[in-house]
Amino acid sequence: MRVPFGWLQEFINPGISVEKTAHLLTMSGLEVEALETDGEDVVLVINVTPNRADCLSILGIARELSVLTGAPLKLPAPPAGEAGPAGITVEIRNTELCRRYAGRVIRNARTGPGPEWMAKRLEACGLRPINNIVDVTNYVLLELGHPLHAFDLNTLKGGRIVVDTADKVYRKIKTLDGVERKLPAGALVIADAEGPVALAGIMGGASTEVEESTRDIFLEAAWFEPRNIRKTARALGLSTESSYRFERGADIGIIPLALERASLLIEDLAGGPGTVIRDGGVDVYPVKYAPPTIEVRTSRVNRILGAEIEEDEMLRILSRLGFAVNSSDGLIRTSPPSFRLDVEGEADVIEEVARIYGYDRIPAALPSSTLSADGAGSREDFIRLVGGAIRKSGYSEAVNYSFMNPRALENLSLSPNDLRRNAVVLLNPLKTEESLLRTTIVPSLIENLKHNRERGLKNIRLAETARVFIREREGELPREPLKLAGIAVQQKTHSFWRDAAEDFYLAKGAVEALLDELRIKDRHFTPSGEPFLHPGKSADLVAGGRKCGYVGVLSPAAAEKFEIREKEEITVFELDLDVLFDLLPPPTVYRPVPKFPYIERDIAIVVADGIKADDVIRYIKNYPSEFIEEAAVFDLYKGEKVPAGKKSMAFNIRYRAGDRTLTEDEIEVIHSGLVKDLLVHTGGSLRA
Amino acid sequence: MGGVNIRKSFLQELGPVRTISGLELLRVRYLGKKGILTAELKKLGGLPPEERRSAGALLNESKVFIETELAARRQELKELELREKFASQAIDVTLPGRYTRPGRTHPVIRVMREITGIFVAMGFSVEEGPEVELDYYNFEALNIPKEHPAREMQDTFYVSPDIVLRTHTSPVQVRVMQRKKPPVKFIAPGKVYRCDADISHTPMFHQIEGFMVADDITFSHLKAVLESFLHRIFSPDVPVRFRPSYFPFTEPSAEVDIGCIFCKGTGCRTCKGTGWIEILGSGMVHPHVLEMVGYDSRIYSGFAFGIGMERVAMLKYSIDDIRLFFENDLRFLGQF
Repeated sequence: MRVPFGWLQEFINPGISVEKTAHLLTMSGLEVEALETDGEDVVLVINVTPNRADCLSILGIARELSVLTGAPLKLPAPPAGEAGPAGITVEIRNTELCRRYAGRVIRNARTGPGPEWMAKRLEACGLRPINNIVDVTNYVLLELGHPLHAFDLNTLKGGRIVVDTADKVYRKIKTLDGVERKLPAGALVIADAEGPVALAGIMGGASTEVEESTRDIFLEAAWFEPRNIRKTARALGLSTESSYRFERGADIGIIPLALERASLLIEDLAGGPGTVIRDGGVDVYPVKYAPPTIEVRTSRVNRILGAEIEEDEMLRILSRLGFAVNSSDGLIRTSPPSFRLDVEGEADVIEEVARIYGYDRIPAALPSSTLSADGAGSREDFIRLVGGAIRKSGYSEAVNYSFMNPRALENLSLSPNDLRRNAVVLLNPLKTEESLLRTTIVPSLIENLKHNRERGLKNIRLAETARVFIREREGELPREPLKLAGIAVQQKTHSFWRDAAEDFYLAKGAVEALLDELRIKDRHFTPSGEPFLHPGKSADLVAGGRKCGYVGVLSPAAAEKFEIREKEEITVFELDLDVLFDLLPPPTVYRPVPKFPYIERDIAIVVADGIKADDVIRYIKNYPSEFIEEAAVFDLYKGEKVPAGKKSMAFNIRYRAGDRTLTEDEIEVIHSGLVKDLLVHTGGSLRA
Repeated sequence: MGGVNIRKSFLQELGPVRTISGLELLRVRYLGKKGILTAELKKLGGLPPEERRSAGALLNESKVFIETELAARRQELKELELREKFASQAIDVTLPGRYTRPGRTHPVIRVMREITGIFVAMGFSVEEGPEVELDYYNFEALNIPKEHPAREMQDTFYVSPDIVLRTHTSPVQVRVMQRKKPPVKFIAPGKVYRCDADISHTPMFHQIEGFMVADDITFSHLKAVLESFLHRIFSPDVPVRFRPSYFPFTEPSAEVDIGCIFCKGTGCRTCKGTGWIEILGSGMVHPHVLEMVGYDSRIYSGFAFGIGMERVAMLKYSIDDIRLFFENDLRFLGQF
């Protein structure tokens, strides 16, 4: 709401500067967002919250200011006299949706351009001047907050006005903006003897528009039910100054005043010899305003606020706000004025008292609260642990929108029955590329990688923890599993104090470091079938017997589909954090550290390429000897010194007994047996 | 040879010795069984008793002298040897250390964790709720029926007429109250969505919902809890003010401002010249919201608040463009 200070001063002389006025309004709930200079005047730009329809006018702001400063409010003159019969009949067929319909017939007006001063004020408030009659209705709308509509009387057919909802008879209307509109079901219309002439409370019809030639006018002021107006306005995608006010709740009590004010202005601005502004009036008011009586205990006010406001002060505040009040024994009975439809119950009254009393006067005191043993909760701790572990492996935490481009699913070559195809679709996305909710985080990270690459960054590691969304049944909420995904690319450097490893192992290392951090030991990796990964450089993580993620090099085909130009291998991983959370082990049960030393043996074997290190280690660990404590691979070699199609792998095996120091002789027997059996099992040979 | 001469010749010979082995040879030459000094000591027996005494004393002095000198030189040479060994082993200590450069925490996540920590320390628990939410929880149960003008305050993404992307973290209030009996006291951090994108709005951002309901909670408590929080997250001397506002699910409602941390209240571009910056929305839980979940609003009362993480992060780190948070540019992320 834009309020020129000069206009405001026609209703109140606050006796304070515009800055002080802005501060007072802001601190009572009418936030002044800016003070704009407009020629000689200053415009207060006020953010009026949806509950305060009463403040969508100069009068409303002045009224509020009067409460805050005590300065008297200067109201426009009440109607000077009764108008005679209008010669127009009004029939309200739905008195719930239209509780009052009043009008005034004005004859022999001279339609033409409005005066400069009025045009300037309309423009300062964001409205476009049209002609003196329409300008007057807009001016009164801004000034008093009540929307009016002017019909060209001579275009209204049959001398009657019917207020009714759209039905078989009333199906469409051509509105003032020249658009032919189909009336939505339940829309309230104003009709004459032949059909709809206005969309009630939203916009007039083109056929009855006031034009330069208009002489006789029917001026309408009515009260329409907020929800109905909003529903129709939304259905039509139409929001006007009028609908904006009706859907927030107009003041049914101000209707006579608004008609009088507009009539007098028309007389002033469009009048001349023969102009009659009281040719006839109608006021059909079937549902009288009946304010609720709200009971509020003064002790309750202070109990909710944590304040000690005297009953007298509460009563004073409410009366100044225009509420009817009476009280006895600490119980206040109060009724809001007709312009305060937002006040319905005790809580609303408490807020009124508090905001005029001043929030800053209510003391601040920490609650002497009950202690809570809940703390952050283990899931919150878990997510922090995951973030810390992944950062240690060099991954920075990324945050992306939860949206996904439908093309991403194609780029990933997901099979038709892949769950990740069951994406949630938005009805009103901002753009097609953001029309799905993510079922995987990886496409977002690929875009991040490209963004960084384009800006010259060579070494990139990004990880994101976020929920993805898997659609299950129609009409039900989707599943929202929590995922951790990462992407990495690095420039190959052959620096003497660094060593190079396959990028795959760096990514896998990050995953393993995370699993170590989480103490999840029951895990292994098997070749992955993810369609967007390099089939020879990818693995699924199996933990607790379930697949809960993958790690691998993005396949060249996928990289191409995502339009990645660089040749470096890009590694990605994505883990199901909900599953990992469930796999978190109970607290460690301490075992005594070994008292006796171990004996180590190294062994290098030449085996076929297809033999996996993991298989060998598992074979060793499962070998029937109680003394085998640990086995680990420490070298892998392929090249000239081993035959083609084969590789050499070196393992370190650690033997230990729990109750004594093993002898070399004892170990020799077991170890040579193990080597012999291992060679048979793997079909390999000892490396010379 | 007399004691004095022995010392002189020993010192002459010691001068050029630069190795431990050379030193050992010199020791044998003077102090060994057939050494010069040993020979002189043997001669003492042939001297008359009155001479023997003084000559003997002199020789013994020389012996101590030689031993001391030898030990001192040995120490010197040992140190020298060690220095040379260290010099030959020296590496360029200015080369970077070997480590995996740790990744950085996203500023929004950082702020979210910090705020969560502050409230957990105040005894709040942490709750979660779905991001794709029923219209019922996002609006209706929060006193925002269909066709309510307040729906315009939040542009909503729809999945179906009854399912939305949550526009705020407030639906978690309702879900928690449905599950727990009062008193409840929790925060709910998470993502929220608005169908809106321009210089100052992104379609997704992060909020923390705060909620506390018991049989004695007042607006005064709300003020103190939020003041303590804002003093901890910004600075202990930042001014805080509460002004009336409107949220359908709180009554009374309050918008909370802090004194502009850039201009210290004198007025600048960030605070649009007002000296104040809007930081969060709050209020006393509306009785309708309590009644909807079966809490007796005559007994229980409480407060709720919602804080935008991006806004806090922008103020805390002087970030002037909200879109930076979602580009994931490592030159940006690397700074936190």
